[in-house]
Amino acid sequence: MAVSDNRPFFLNLFKIRLPVTGFVSIFHRISGLLMFLAIPFSIFLFDISLQGESGFNQAAGILQHPFIQLISLVLLWSIVHHLLAGIRFLFTDFDIGLEKRQATLFAWLVFAIEAILFVLLAMRIFL
Amino acid sequence: MSSPGLQGLRPWIIQRVSAVYIALYIIYFSLLLFIDNPVTAQDWALWAAIPYNNIALGLFLIAVLWHAWIGVRDIVLDYVPNVVSRLVVLTIVGCTILGSGLWGFKALFMVAIK
Repeated sequence: MAVSDNRPFFLNLFKIRLPVTGFVSIFHRISGLLMFLAIPFSIFLFDISLQGESGFNQAAGILQHPFIQLISLVLLWSIVHHLLAGIRFLFTDFDIGLEKRQATLFAWLVFAIEAILFVLLAMRIFL
Repeated sequence: MSSPGLQGLRPWIIQRVSAVYIALYIIYFSLLLFIDNPVTAQDWALWAAIPYNNIALGLFLIAVLWHAWIGVRDIVLDYVPNVVSRLVVLTIVGCTILGSGLWGFKALFMVAIK
């Protein structure tokens, strides 16, 4: 296969312009990694929350802290995006929505549902 | 795996089966919270001690940790090319996963026998 020498080869991540489908993908990875990092602390909270009144209140108190609330918001987004993008990828496994226009539509659909779900859940949890 | 063509099929399947269980359980759990919120310390512990819920939570823990292991392993294999750094990072990740699992099961066991 003939290969041209002047193909773009970007090592600078900021020069790579991703299509919307690419954002669904990379955010799936980022959100997954963020949730992995949160596992040990989440298990700690789960553990103490089950240890009677004092532990439960301690866990609730930690979750009230502004910095933890900020992290909770990021993790809420992570769950919502990871879940919706994951459902989209399961469709991909069954060869559904592979054609370019359909794939783009699916990607926008993920972001649209994600935005609505995120705002609704954030309001329910934090307000 | 006996056939070289099947390498990687097992984690691929585990990733998807665990994903379905995690998704269904998160939706179920979120609906519970929407219906019955806020809960008290006693309600929460009693709920987690019911065998049905205790086992479902244990399965959720296994599904999440296994799913996370496969996902993070894929990320490490993609972005960490050096064999030694790979081994170091994967060891840290593996220990984190196993430690979290033991801790989670301890919490589930303690609340079940209380």
